[in-house]
Order: sequence, then structure tokens, then C-alpha cells
Amino acid sequence: MRLSLLKGFARQAGSVATTLLGLLALTFFMGRMLPVDPVLAIVGDQADQATHDMVYHQLGLDQPLYVQFYLYIHAMLTGDFGNALFTGHRVADDLTKVFPATVELATFAIIIGVGIGVPLGVLAAVYRGSVIDHIARVVGLLGYSSPAFWLGLMGLILFYATLGWVGGPGRLDVAYMDSIEPHTGFMTIDALLDGDTDVFWNAVSHIVLPGSILGYGSMAYISRMTRSFMLEQMAQEYMVAARVKGLSAWAVIRRHAFRNILVQLVTVIALAYAFLLEGAVLTETVFAWPGFGHYLVAGLLAGDMNAVLACVLIVGIIFIGLNLLTDLLYRLLDPRTR
Amino acid sequence: MSRLFMARAFYAAIASVVLLLSPATGQAATPRDALIIAWNLDALITFDPAQIGEVNGADIIINNVCTTLVRYDPNDVTKIIPGTAESWSSSPDGLTLTFKLRSDLKFPDGTPATAEDAAWSLQRAVLLGFFSSSNLTEWGFNKDQITDQIQAADDHTVVLKLSKPYPAPLLLSAAFANNNVAAILSKAVGLKNAKTTDGKSDLGNAFFKTGPVCVGPYHVTRWDANDVVVLERNDNYFGPKPAMRRIIIRHVPESSAQRLLLEKGDIDVARLLNTDDLKALESNKDIHIEQTLQQGMQYLALNTNDPILGNPKVREAIRYLIDYDGLKDTILPYKGVPRADLVPEGAFGALNRKEGQPFSLDLAKAKQLLTEAGYPDGFSKKMILSANDISPAIAQHIATNAAKVGIKLELEQMADANLFTRGRNRDFEIQLVGWYAGYPDGNAMVSRHATNPDPRMEAKLVGLPVWRTGWQSTDINAKAEAARLEQDPEKRAAMYRDIQLYMIHNGPMAYIYQVIRPIAYRTSVKGFEIGPFRVNYESATK
Repeated sequence: MRLSLLKGFARQAGSVATTLLGLLALTFFMGRMLPVDPVLAIVGDQADQATHDMVYHQLGLDQPLYVQFYLYIHAMLTGDFGNALFTGHRVADDLTKVFPATVELATFAIIIGVGIGVPLGVLAAVYRGSVIDHIARVVGLLGYSSPAFWLGLMGLILFYATLGWVGGPGRLDVAYMDSIEPHTGFMTIDALLDGDTDVFWNAVSHIVLPGSILGYGSMAYISRMTRSFMLEQMAQEYMVAARVKGLSAWAVIRRHAFRNILVQLVTVIALAYAFLLEGAVLTETVFAWPGFGHYLVAGLLAGDMNAVLACVLIVGIIFIGLNLLTDLLYRLLDPRTR
Repeated sequence: MSRLFMARAFYAAIASVVLLLSPATGQAATPRDALIIAWNLDALITFDPAQIGEVNGADIIINNVCTTLVRYDPNDVTKIIPGTAESWSSSPDGLTLTFKLRSDLKFPDGTPATAEDAAWSLQRAVLLGFFSSSNLTEWGFNKDQITDQIQAADDHTVVLKLSKPYPAPLLLSAAFANNNVAAILSKAVGLKNAKTTDGKSDLGNAFFKTGPVCVGPYHVTRWDANDVVVLERNDNYFGPKPAMRRIIIRHVPESSAQRLLLEKGDIDVARLLNTDDLKALESNKDIHIEQTLQQGMQYLALNTNDPILGNPKVREAIRYLIDYDGLKDTILPYKGVPRADLVPEGAFGALNRKEGQPFSLDLAKAKQLLTEAGYPDGFSKKMILSANDISPAIAQHIATNAAKVGIKLELEQMADANLFTRGRNRDFEIQLVGWYAGYPDGNAMVSRHATNPDPRMEAKLVGLPVWRTGWQSTDINAKAEAARLEQDPEKRAAMYRDIQLYMIHNGPMAYIYQVIRPIAYRTSVKGFEIGPFRVNYESATK
């Protein structure tokens, strides 16, 4: 029994490792085919050939591709992701700064997405064809179709520049920039750890707008999915049976219909969260948010494979991690899978 | 009950958002003793003066963090004024250049800075061999002899032995004024923190990358990639004490966001605004827009190895397809001044504005030149260009005019790194690209855009844009070398004039405009020194 569990675990770990290795290999070899010379990120367009060749050699780019890949994987396993060519910093150091910034934003966004999206989806299903349903549809449609870039800019003009309700681009006002010690990389949590409520509220005032705009997109998606899952359940015969049993309409919805869509809903939410964690490049750009998405795209445009590979690895781990977590939640939520 | 539960959940979610919004009404203005600048910090990769090869890094470091041996006079960049060196002299044979350093130079920690530090800093730039080293190696300094060529004679005297008697004003302008290699770094700190790989010392490169220990008004105390750079005042600086205790440069990559921050007063200076945002700020009396003509040119590089573009008449025809006057009013406001000459206005020896821009849109003339060249019906060519900024608009504009005389230009936009790679590999027919001259002297452009010692592919002189086009004139090579050694300023200027007048019609480039750098700042900021090369913060107050 225990042996089979171990075997199962080993198989799972093996498949995760293979997936990640495959992902890295694919990115690595595709990256090397890009028509961009990564050396130029360091030496610039004006450099002569000797300078170029010196750096080319220093970076090990003169070695065969498979050797380069082997050396990369070897270093990576010891925790060394190398230097990001386009920032000059160690990739690992960069990531400890940009990744928490994105996780903080994505978490804020998903809370809004789930907190509003799920109830809205349920209400839209229950009151199908009513005003609530129409409102939900319009809200959802706008969320799908408005570019985040435009929404961000409009949001900034209205809530930051005109009304002054929220902080501007960036994670904090300049005045607070050095007020807290970086513990976790999450501004809000670090401020609370330092017991500095001024900084905390300032951080919140900066995250609320980009977070809400990203959250709006997630909300649109989650509410539409919730609605369709609910409608599917509500058309089932057991719903009638439950009503006949004497349960109130809302009790049926809550205890039967909603409960039955939880498994599907968890998948939808996990995917929405993973999508947010990949980084929302445009939102990050408008809000000068030093996050993961912006980092990944800047690395890609500079042909900086050290940065790109580390980012791809993280995205891979996020997806696999969330998949595993979803599997686990399935077991908790759906007795049939136990 | 259940209905209430759902409703409560819904409203609670909305309420939590509203609640989060409410305490955030207060706005913090920028601190009195700090200058807050918004910029794009994407390109920053190093602060080591020996390694810096891009514009933003040089802008931050030169004369803000590392004062150079000599400087340009802010009112006339062709004149040289003292920096960390209080005086300089040339030997009668012109083969020795001596700098006398100030006696009150100190690093931020209070340690005195000496001629030994200055000599070591120059030597290491050559020894490390990064791109900046060419600022010295093109004047005969080389790795093998550098420790003999540049030496400290005593605590305050640096002596440089030259291989040829280059005119002192040219040499000072090119290598020692506003040039990152002319910084004084701490030798002790550099050697203490040096890392050795494969038996080769990095002379403190990895250490200085994130913050050089230099003689200058500020020092770098923080640099988070793609986020922020903080400069702190150096209280041991020899010059007048800067009013601003800190300079904070924030990464705000989006123009509209910079504009909002500036209007709101959350930043003092915006350095990356697009034309629409600048136009919108024009009427705001709290904001001043300073437009500075830079020593940078945007141009079409025409690959002369191509049989069609190799014909000088075809290249001349293309110059008549650029609507310089039309561009001035449409695409170029806040961006540039039309100019067809390779040497930018303001440099020593440059043609004046009128002479430097003899072309105008003339389809009939272009057609006539094409007919003379044997292409009366035109031809098809590909043009590669950056997807950023106004490049696509400029390219489209030229392609539209070209189509009228039968030249079909296929435009291909790409990321800058890709564009540069293609240029250096000579992998283009026509490339729309830019180049910044390192110093305000005709030689800066002539030596890169006109002088080509070896046009063969295998020569790989990739750092020379003229090599990338495959063009060569041995006559121009000889004239440029003679000008480099001419001691009489008037004669030297006349020689550059001669070269420019030839290149403007026969060279491999069609220059389009000289770059303007617009900087918008709140009028509460005073004394902010903005020059064609550098922006200096030490004199700023608010």
C-alpha cells in the first residue's frame, strides 16, 4: 500500500520534472533561433566586433547549443539562473522583486474576480432573463471587450488625476519609498509587518486601481462561467426532487446546485489566477508596476534567454502547481473522486 | 434567509472595494529636498563607467555621479571647462597631455581621490575592453602599453603619452569631457572587490556595476531593475553643495502615466513624453517643456552592396523623396529638426542649418535621377525599422512618396535589438535607424559614418555604420585622417566642411533629422542644467 503511494508520488514527480525540462528545452532552442543578438543588450549597437566577441565568449555563446543547454540546466539545479543581460542584475534577484509584485496584484485581482464574479453569476442564473441577468451580461461583455490598457488609463485619469481617490502609477508614493523593510516583497504585508499603517494604506491606494481593473476582467470571465454552470445544474431533475422534498428555492440553489458546480468553478478560478500570475503586461506598463509580465516581455525583446528561461520555468511551475492543487480540491469537493 | 445570504455576500464584496478606496484620498507631494524624475529605465544594464554603452546609463552617471576630468561649457559645448582637473597642457611636440587635478577631490566616504585613482580608472577602461574603451583606443591607447601610456606623475598630476600629435581640443572633447571613461573611480575599492575568473581580474566591474565609487555630486544608493534608481548627495563633493539631497528616478514606461504624475505633482520631471502628451502639457503654466537639440541623427542607411542602392544617383533620388518641410510640421514637433548632413548642428565644424539641409521633396527631380540611373520605372526594396516611437510614421511617409516615382518600399517593423542585429550583420537593403555622436566635433560622425578602412564583409567593422552599408571612399578616409591631425582649428573646420559637402550627395546615408530631447518639468524646479549631451542635477533647486 505504502509502496504504491510512493510509486505514485515518484511517477508524479517524474512527470512534473519531464514537463518542466521539455518546456525549458523548447524555450531554449526556440530562443536561440530568434533573430536577435543577445550580446547587443550588453555592448550596445555602437560596439565593435572585438568587444562583441569578448562578451559573446564570456557568455559561453560560442559553445555548441547542447553544451550551453547542459551548462544552463546544471547551473539552474544549483539555484543559479545566471545574470539577466538586459538588467545587469542576477535573474534570481530580479525575480524576487518582480514576482511578489505580480503575485500581490494578481491576488488582489482574483479576490475581486471571485468575490463579485461568483455571486453575480449565480444571481444571473437564478434570475435568468431578468434585469440582474442583463446587467451581468453587459458588465461581463465590457470586461471581456475593453482593453486593459484603455481601462487603466481611463481609471487613472478619473480616480487618480481627477478625483484623487487612489494613488498613481507605481507601488508606493515616493515619500514612502524607503519607509519599510522588504520582508516578503508584498508591499501591503511588509507594511503590516513593520506596523506602518500609513504605508499600508498608501500601498493599498496604489494597488486598488490596477487590481480592480485586472479583477474586472477575471470577474467577467468567472461570472459568465458560473452562470452557465448554474443553468446546467438547475435544469437537472434532482433540483425538482429537492424542491418537492420541501426545501426552499435558495436552499436548493445553495446546497445542491452551487455545491455541484464547485469542482468546475475551482478549475475556472485556478486558470484565471494562473493567467493573472503570468503577468498582465499592459496593465503593468500603464501603472508602472514593476512586475513579472513586463520583465518577461522586456527580456524577450532583448533576446535575453537567461531571464526568459527563468520566467518560463516559473510560469510552468505555476500551471503545474495549480493543476495539482485543483486535483486536490477536486478530491475534497467531490466525494466520487476519493 | 438564503436570499439574504446571497445578497449580503454580493454587497459585502462591493462594500469591501469601496472601503478600500476611502482612506486613500490623501496625496503626497514630492519631498522638498528630492528631485523625482520619471523615465524609462529598461535599457539600464550597468553603472560601471568603463562599461556604460547606452544613453540612459551615461546620462545618470556622467557628471551626476562621476565628474569627468574636463567638461563642456554648458553655453557652448565646443568649449572645454575644468572638471576634476583644474588645468591641462600639451607638450610642444603635441605628444604628451598633462592633467593637473584639483587638490580637494574626495570619494563619498571622505577618502581623498588622487591622480593614481584617475590614471587607474583610465587604464581599466582600456584593459576591460568594453565598448567605452574605444573612446580611448581610437586615439592610440592600447591594452599592451596602457600602464606606460597613462601614469600618475604625483598625487595631482596625470600624464598621457600620445602616439600621434592629435589636436588637444579634439582629444579633450572626444575622450575626457563628458565621457564615462574620464571618471575618477576609487582604485582601492575596485581592487578590493575585484573578482578573478580564468586568471583574469574584472578590476571591480561586477562591484561597480550597481554603484561606482566615484568623485561626483551624488552616489548611487539603490537600483532596482525596471523600478527605481536613487542617487544620494555626496557631502564630500568638491563643488557647491547640491540643494537636492536625493535624486529619485522612477521607471514609468508609459507616456500618459508620466503626464498624469507630472500634472498631479507626484513627479518633478518627465523624460519620456510622446508628442500628444507634450502638446497637451503646452498650455499648463505649472509645467515647462525644454527642447534640446541633441547630437543624434536619424537616417536611412542604404546598403551599397545592393546593385541598385550602390548607384549614387539612386541614393540622391531617395533624398529628394524625403519631405523635410512636411515632416517638420507633422511628425517632427518635439522630436527633431530636419537635417540632411551627417554632422549634427552644434558640433565643431558642422555645416549651418541651411547648408546642412539642401533637399526638399521633389518628385520630378527624383524621377529624373532614377531615369539617369537606369531605373525609370523604379524598383522594389525592403526597409527595416524600429516599431517604436515615430519610426513607423517616418517610414510610411517616405514609402508614400517613393511609391509616386515607382519605388515600392516594403516596410518591416521590429524590436530594436532585432533591428541592430540586422544592421550589424549587414542584413538589410534599407535601414531606418539612429546614431548618437559621442562628442560635439565633426570627427565624431566622420570617423563612424564616412571613414571605412576596409569595406569587406570579413573585416567585420560592425561598430562603423558606414561599414554596415559597404560604402568606402579612400579619398574621404585620407581627408578624415588629415583633419584628425590638423592643429589649426580654422583649417580643421574647413576640412570637415569639405567632407560634409561631399557626403551629403554621395554618401551611403540619407539623413532625415537631428534628434530633439524634450524634457517636461514643473516650474517649481529651478537651475536644472539641460545640455545637448547631459542633464545635470547638482544645480537643481525647488
